[in-house]
Amino acid sequence: MTGPSFLRSRAFRRVTLQAGFVAGLLLLVLAATLTARTNLATQGLTSGFDFLWKSTGWEMNFSLLPTTTADPYWWYLLMGLMNTLFMGTLGLAGASVLGLVVGLMRSGRNPAARLLGTIYIEIFRNLPLILQLFFWYAMANALPAPRASIAFGGALINARGLYLPGLMVGPGTVALAVLSGLVGLGLAIWVLTARRFNRVEPRGQRRVALLAVLAGLIGAGVFVVLGHDPADAWVTLPALQGLKIDGGFRIQPEFYALAIAITTYGAAYVGEIVRGGFKSVGRGQMEAAAALGLSSWHIFTRVRLPLAFRAMLPILINQYVWLIKATTLGIAVGFSDFFMVIASSINHSGQTFEFIGILMAGFLLINFSLAAVLNRLNRAIALKGHQTTGSA
Amino acid sequence: MSAIARTNVMDLTAPAIEITDLNKYYGTFHALRSINLTVSKGEKVVVCGPSGSGKSTMIRCINQLEEHDSGAIRVFGTQLDDNLGSIDEIRREVGMVFQQFNLFPHMTVLENCTLAPMLVRKISRAEAEATAMRYLEKVRIPDQAQKFPGQLSGGQQQRVAIARALCMQPEILLFDEPTSALDPEMIAEVLDVMVTLAQEGMTMVCVTHEMGFARKVADRVIFMDKGEIIEEAPPEEFFGQPKSDRTRLFLSQVLGH
Repeated sequence: MTGPSFLRSRAFRRVTLQAGFVAGLLLLVLAATLTARTNLATQGLTSGFDFLWKSTGWEMNFSLLPTTTADPYWWYLLMGLMNTLFMGTLGLAGASVLGLVVGLMRSGRNPAARLLGTIYIEIFRNLPLILQLFFWYAMANALPAPRASIAFGGALINARGLYLPGLMVGPGTVALAVLSGLVGLGLAIWVLTARRFNRVEPRGQRRVALLAVLAGLIGAGVFVVLGHDPADAWVTLPALQGLKIDGGFRIQPEFYALAIAITTYGAAYVGEIVRGGFKSVGRGQMEAAAALGLSSWHIFTRVRLPLAFRAMLPILINQYVWLIKATTLGIAVGFSDFFMVIASSINHSGQTFEFIGILMAGFLLINFSLAAVLNRLNRAIALKGHQTTGSA
Repeated sequence: MSAIARTNVMDLTAPAIEITDLNKYYGTFHALRSINLTVSKGEKVVVCGPSGSGKSTMIRCINQLEEHDSGAIRVFGTQLDDNLGSIDEIRREVGMVFQQFNLFPHMTVLENCTLAPMLVRKISRAEAEATAMRYLEKVRIPDQAQKFPGQLSGGQQQRVAIARALCMQPEILLFDEPTSALDPEMIAEVLDVMVTLAQEGMTMVCVTHEMGFARKVADRVIFMDKGEIIEEAPPEEFFGQPKSDRTRLFLSQVLGH
């Protein structure tokens, strides 16, 4: 081979290739943007994000904080994002808990429980999610009319929705109270599990954790008392007034049908991940724990579950990200999640590109944050060293 | 021996282990055939025999990692029966060291050693850690206390496993082929620790192929084949004048090269 020697340098080639690739990509994006701009301008459409401050003029059927038709787009988008986060949190939590139960049933020794777990997984995993969503929504709509509401423990359920008794406080107060409780719970979990507190006596650790939970609950109580309007009654109970239900809090069928569908469908997948995790734990560790005299509860909580959880987590992260995206199916039954708010906004404003951009950015933000937090946890609890011993 | 308050009802004057007419089946396979064995307190017994002869199964019956089908096992007079309480009681007093170490890979060496004393003996973390450091020093590995099992060599891991068993301050230690998974250069460091324990009077039952160890510390050597105890004798007699043909064949295979 002849030619200048730098052409044969490995480092030079690598750098040139990288630079060429990046430059090509930038060029492509630039070309696409310019083309789109020219085309939009010829059609008389203006791009930009000024519309975010215009009022929407249409109604949102479900939001955690109040919305009116006079609210601007950015507020609607935020509420849609919160609905997606709310649904995602409920769905992930529900799918995790139910999935753990199903996975344990599948990996246990009881043949009846194993069969039940298998039937569950085969049914919920093999039917399309949208079909399951329509099924639950049809079930919710097939409930009796308000006149014939089914009552249970102060709550009412009918075709119009689920009516729960509740405290007479505003949504902001509820958010603060829930936040306070969650902070207390989070602190307690941190104190109990973080490695930095490992050298503390467990009794002291448990006491601090209990205090954190109590403080969170007391904080929640304080928020509720402060946020309560003295003129109102403390609790509101749903009751039939003529042809409709008065009082209480209404949960619309779209919401709980989607929550049930995401939970049950997600649980089938989580269940299989849980089963795989437990299967990966070597019998040796459990035998060693048994030989040391640990009770079966302690063997489960201190050895089997922690080791299984480490095996599950990387796959769970994937599943969680997937489930969050699955909440967009809410549009099929009319639940106002982020996706549906975007879709309606596009219909009303015609700013397709901008809204699609916001939609993508929103989901990237949610799922990237979720994965980042869980990956951080995964790294923190990963087994140290390379010799994984005693799988025999 | 220790400051730990013991709530057990064990009779330390009874034989440490008393096995009578023990039988165990895996399906139709007769794994243990009428085993009778008595080990007194402070005695060191080495169990050897070809693989599949039931050695491991026998010692795993003593702390009920395997259930036996008939016969009786008594540990310091407490009989192992269907009563789960008797299993808990015996496991507290019988430590076990495994071929594959079986350390808890998600816990540091120190946590491996303090887990059971804190949960089972209900002692404070400070006391459990002090005890753990004492035994980690005994197995010559105190400087690794904050490391994780995966960061140690096989020999170090097995010494941690021995320390972990000792932290429960058991009356009896069972060893299930403790050196079989180790590289040759690490076998000595583990055997040294076992010799020290033997010299200090620990009651030990060791399943092992280390005949040098058997010669050095065993009070009795037991030879098993096809689920039966074929021969039991003090080491000089066992290695000097084995009575059974099967023992002679086994010894020629183990010592022959």
